[in-house]
Amino acid sequence: MESTASLPTKSVARQRLGEWWPYLLVLAFLVLFPAIAALTIGDSTAAQPGAGFFEQLVQRAESGYAKFWQGMVIQMLILGIFAMSYDLLLGYTGILSFGHAMFFGTGGYAIAILIGRNFNWPFGLALIAVVVIALVQSLVFGVLSLRVKGVYLAMVTLAFAEMFFILAEAGDFRAYTGADDGLHGFPVPAYLSATDHRTRFYYLALIFFVAVFLMTKRLVDSPTGRVMIASRDNENRAMMIGFNTFWFKLIAFVAAGVFAALAGALFALYNVSVTPSVLSVGRTIDALAMTIIGGVGTLVGPVLGAAIIQLLGYWLERWFGANWTLVYGIIFMLIVIFLPYGIVGTLRARSFRLREGWRRWRKLGDRD
Amino acid sequence: MTALWKNNRGLLIITAIVVVLMAGLLQSLEPKVWMSIMLSGATLAALYFLVASGLSLIFGLMDVLNFAHGVLFVLGAYVGLSTFMNPRLLFNTLPFFFVLVAAITVAQHFGRIFWRRIGTERGRRVATAALLLLAAAVLFLALRGFPIRALNAFNITAVGGAVTTAEAQEPMATMLRRVTMVLLAGLPIGLLLAPKQTKDELPLRPVWQTLLIAGVAVVIGYALLLVRDPGETFMLAMSTDVRFVLAIILGTVAGALAGVGIETALIRPFYGNPVTQLVLTLGLSIAGIDLIEAIWGEEGNPPMSPPSLFAANCRSDSLLGWFSEHCQSIDVLGRAFPTYRLFIIVVGILVFIAVGVLLRRTRIGMIIRAGVQDSEMVQALGINVRRVFTFVFALGSALAAMGGVIAAPYLGVFPAMGGIFQLQAFIAVVIGGMGSYVGAAVGTIILGLARAFGDHFVAAGINVPFLDTVIKGSPAIARASTVLIMAIVLLVKPAGIFGKKE
Amino acid sequence: MAASPSPTPTPANVLEVRDIHTDIGQFHILDGVSVDVPEGSITVLLGRNGAGKTTTLKSIIGLTPPRSGAVALRGREIQGEPAYRIAARGIGYVPEHRAIFRALSVEENLRIAERKPGDLSRRGDFIFGIFPDLKRLIKLPGGNLSGGQQQMLAVARALVPENGLLLIDEPSEGLAPVIIEQMMEAIRQLSAHTTVLLVEQNFIMASQLADRYTIIETGRSVKSGRMADLVKDEETITRYLGAA
Repeated sequence: MESTASLPTKSVARQRLGEWWPYLLVLAFLVLFPAIAALTIGDSTAAQPGAGFFEQLVQRAESGYAKFWQGMVIQMLILGIFAMSYDLLLGYTGILSFGHAMFFGTGGYAIAILIGRNFNWPFGLALIAVVVIALVQSLVFGVLSLRVKGVYLAMVTLAFAEMFFILAEAGDFRAYTGADDGLHGFPVPAYLSATDHRTRFYYLALIFFVAVFLMTKRLVDSPTGRVMIASRDNENRAMMIGFNTFWFKLIAFVAAGVFAALAGALFALYNVSVTPSVLSVGRTIDALAMTIIGGVGTLVGPVLGAAIIQLLGYWLERWFGANWTLVYGIIFMLIVIFLPYGIVGTLRARSFRLREGWRRWRKLGDRD
Repeated sequence: MTALWKNNRGLLIITAIVVVLMAGLLQSLEPKVWMSIMLSGATLAALYFLVASGLSLIFGLMDVLNFAHGVLFVLGAYVGLSTFMNPRLLFNTLPFFFVLVAAITVAQHFGRIFWRRIGTERGRRVATAALLLLAAAVLFLALRGFPIRALNAFNITAVGGAVTTAEAQEPMATMLRRVTMVLLAGLPIGLLLAPKQTKDELPLRPVWQTLLIAGVAVVIGYALLLVRDPGETFMLAMSTDVRFVLAIILGTVAGALAGVGIETALIRPFYGNPVTQLVLTLGLSIAGIDLIEAIWGEEGNPPMSPPSLFAANCRSDSLLGWFSEHCQSIDVLGRAFPTYRLFIIVVGILVFIAVGVLLRRTRIGMIIRAGVQDSEMVQALGINVRRVFTFVFALGSALAAMGGVIAAPYLGVFPAMGGIFQLQAFIAVVIGGMGSYVGAAVGTIILGLARAFGDHFVAAGINVPFLDTVIKGSPAIARASTVLIMAIVLLVKPAGIFGKKE
Repeated sequence: MAASPSPTPTPANVLEVRDIHTDIGQFHILDGVSVDVPEGSITVLLGRNGAGKTTTLKSIIGLTPPRSGAVALRGREIQGEPAYRIAARGIGYVPEHRAIFRALSVEENLRIAERKPGDLSRRGDFIFGIFPDLKRLIKLPGGNLSGGQQQMLAVARALVPENGLLLIDEPSEGLAPVIIEQMMEAIRQLSAHTTVLLVEQNFIMASQLADRYTIIETGRSVKSGRMADLVKDEETITRYLGAA
C-alpha cells in the first residue's frame, strides 16, 4: 500500500508482476517440468530415432524415472488442490472440519461410478455431475454442521464422513461401490489414461491446480474472503458489524467441498481405482497435516505441505517399510511442536529479517 | 415440580421418547427377543460409556478433544491380553518402563539446575534438540533387534506360530544390557520434561521422595527381569479369574500412566492453544496405533477366552444358578444370553456409580465440576487446577483402557478396535452434550440401544408401510445410522441433550 | 524491562502495584498502572468502560500476568507466580458477572474455597452474619439463585479462607437498588476485617464506600488520592468519569 504512495511512477502492471513473480516462477517450472524430467532423468533409449524433437521429448517423458516423477508431481498437485481447499476452511474461515475426506472420496466415487458400467456417462457430463453432487452434498452437510462450532463441528463432520466411509464399505451397495474392494479399472477415457499419456494427465492436473489456486486466491482476497477471515478472528465482532457469518462460512464450506471433490475425481482418474480409504479419516488427517506443516492460512503452505508429505511418505516407506506411519506420526508431532506456524508461516514471520538482510546485501552491491 | 421439570427437561424428554419407543418395539417383538436386544444394547452402551465418559470429562474440564483416546482403549486391551495369555511379554518389557520412569523422575528433579545453567532461549532450543536426538539414539541402540515378535507369538494363530518362551527370550545378560541402556536413555528424556523456566508451575518434590520413587522403580524393574522364568510359570498357574482381575488392573494402570505421560508431554505445554493440542493428539493417534502394531503385531487376536467364572459350558436358569454353576450363558425369558456380557454391563454400571460418587462426594470431584464451568476461577481460589487436569486425564485414560480389557473377551483384540469405539464415543458425547457426565451416560445408552435394535431390524428386514417390500441390509447400515441420530439431536439441541457450554 | 525499578515497599500498604503493563493476545491493555492499597482501607478503581480496571485485578491475581512492572503483597513481589499460588497467599477474588459455580450447591461453592479443611465451619458464623440469606439457601444449586444472591455468594466465597485482601469486581452490576444497598452494607461490614480493592462503575456507591481511589484511563492510572477529596473535585469527576 505504502509503495503506491511513494512510487507513483511504477505502473500497475509492474506492481502486479512484483507481487506475482514468485508464483509465475513456480508455474513456469511446473509447466516445463515434464520437459526437464525428460531431458534429465528420462530414458533416452525410449526416444525413437527419426522422430521429431518434440515427439522424442514426449517419448522420453513417458518413460522410466521421468514418468515416475511426473506421477509424483501429479499426486502432489492433486493433494495440493485438496490441501488448499482444506486451508480455505481451516486457515481462512477458522472451521476445523474432520470430515473433509467426505468430499474428496465422494468426488472419486462419483466419477468412477458415473463413467463406470452402471451409468456409462460421457466423461464431460460425469465431471459436471461431480461438481453438482459436491455442491449439493456440501450444502446439506454444511447447513447441518455449521449449526455448531469448534470441536463440536470437528466431531460432527467426522461422524458424517465416517457415515460415508461405512456406507462405501458396506456390502449392500456392492453393485455400485464395490464394497470394501472399491472400484478398479473403470473406463477412463483413453486420451486421459495416466498410464499411456502421463504427460497429458500431468497438464490436466496442472490446469485444475492452477484454476483452483486462482479461484481460491480470488475468493480469499475478495470482500467475501475478508468477512470469512473476520469471522475466523472474531466471529462475534463480525456479526456485530452486521454480517451473518453463517452464510460466509457456508460459502467457504461449499467452495472447499467442490474443490475437494475435484481433487478426489482427479485422484480416482489418475489411479483408475477408488477404495473406501479415500473416504477415511486418514484422508482428512492428511489434509490437516499438509495444511499444518505448510502453514495454516497461507494457501501456498498447504501446497508445499502436500509436496512434502508426498515425498516424505515415499521415502519413509522405502526406508522403514510397513511401520513408516509411526515415523510419520512422530515427525508430524515434532513439526507441530517446533514449527507452530508451519513452514510458510514461520518463514513469513521471519521474512522481515530476511528482507532486511537482502536490502543490506543489495546496498553492498550498490557500493561497488 | 416445575423446578424438577426445568432442571431435567432434557433427561425427561429423552426418557419419555425412549420409553415410548421401547414400548412400541415391545409390541412388535416377542418379549424374549426384545429383552436380548436390550441386553446387547446395554453391553455396547457399557463399553461406549467407558470410552465416552473420560472423553467428555477431559473435554469439559480442559477443552481438549483427545483423539488419542481410542489408542488408550487398544492399549488397555493389549496389556490385558498379554497379562492374561502371555505374561512372558510383560516380564521382558515392563522392566524397560520401570527403569525409564526411574531415570525420568530423577532427571526431571535435577533438570532445573541443568536448564538454569543455559541462559539463552537459543541455547535452550539447541539443548532440547540435542537431548531429543541423544534420547532417540540411545533408545534405538538399546532396543535394536529386540525379539518383540517372538515374545508375542504365544499361540498358534499368531503369524508364524507359537514360539516357546525359552526360544523367545533373550539371554539374561543381553536383557540386562538393554534395560541399563534404556535407563540411560531416560536421563535426557527427564531433562526434557524438567521445567525450563525458573517460575514454572511444577512444585518441587522433596528429594527423598524422588529418590524413593526412582529407587523402587529401578528395583522393581530389575527384579521383574530376574524373576521372569518363575514369574511366568507362577502367573500361568493362577486361576483364570485371578489372572483376569490382574489383567484389568494392569491394563487400567497402563492406561492411567499413558494418560499422565500424554498430558505432561503433549497437552500441558499447550494450554490455551486447543488446535495444537488437538492436532498433537491426532498425531499421537497415528503414531500410537503404529507403536502398538509394532509391539503386538498388526494381525488381530480372536476374542480372549473369558475367565472361568463365565466359561462353564452350560446354561444357568437364573443369576442365582450362575453363582454356583459359573455357566457361560444364562436363561433370559427363554433365550440364552452370555454371562460375560452381563458382567460388562455390571462393570459399566459400577464405573458409572463410582465416578459419579467421585464427582459428587469428594473434594476433587467438586473441583472438577467447578472447573468444567470455569477453570480460571478455580485457579483464582488458590487451587492448582493443572494437577486436577492431570488427574482427570489419567482417570479418563484409565477408564478407556479398562474398557479395552473388558472388551477383549467379547470382541477380540485388534489395532483398529480403538478407532471404532472412539468414533461411537464421539457421537455419544455429542448427543449427550460435551462435558456432561450424565450426558455421556445417556448418550451411550441411546447409541447402544440404537445399534442393537438397528442391527436386529436391518438384519431381519423392515416392512415398508404401503409397499410390499422388505428392506434388508448389513450391520454397516445400522452402524452408519447412528450418525443420523446425532444429526437429529444436533438439529434440535446444538449443544447436545445436556450440553451447557455455548 | 526498562520500566521503573521495583520500589522499596511501604509496609503500611497491603498491596502495591507499580507500573504494570499487561497484554492480552496482541492487545496492550494495561500501559502503566500503579495502585496503593493501604491496610484496612477500601480502595476503589474508577474509570470508564474498557479502561482496564478488570484487567488490573486479573493482573494482580495472576490470571493475566503482567509483562512488566511489579505487584507486591505486603512487600513481597508476587507478579509472575501462577494464580493459584498468588491466591493462596491470602487474596480473595470476586470476579465480575458473579462467576459462581452454577452446577455446585451454595454449600459446595463455599466449601471449594477452603484452603484448610474446616475453614467454612470456622468462619461460617462470620459469613452468615454478613449474608444471612445464604444460610437458608445452602442446599440449592448455585444456578438457581437470583442475581443478587449469586453476587452475595461470590463475595461470601472469597471470605471462606482468611484473606488479607479482597479484590471485588463490580459488585453492583445489574442488581436492583435494594440489593445494592444490602451489598454495600455487606462490604462495609467485611471491610472491618479485611482490606478491599474494589472496581465499581456506580460512582455513588463507590464514593460512599471507599476511603481511597485510583482512576484508570485507557490502561494508565492517572490520578489517585483520598475519596473525600475526589467528591469535592467536580473537574476530575467530569473529566475522567463523565457526568457523575
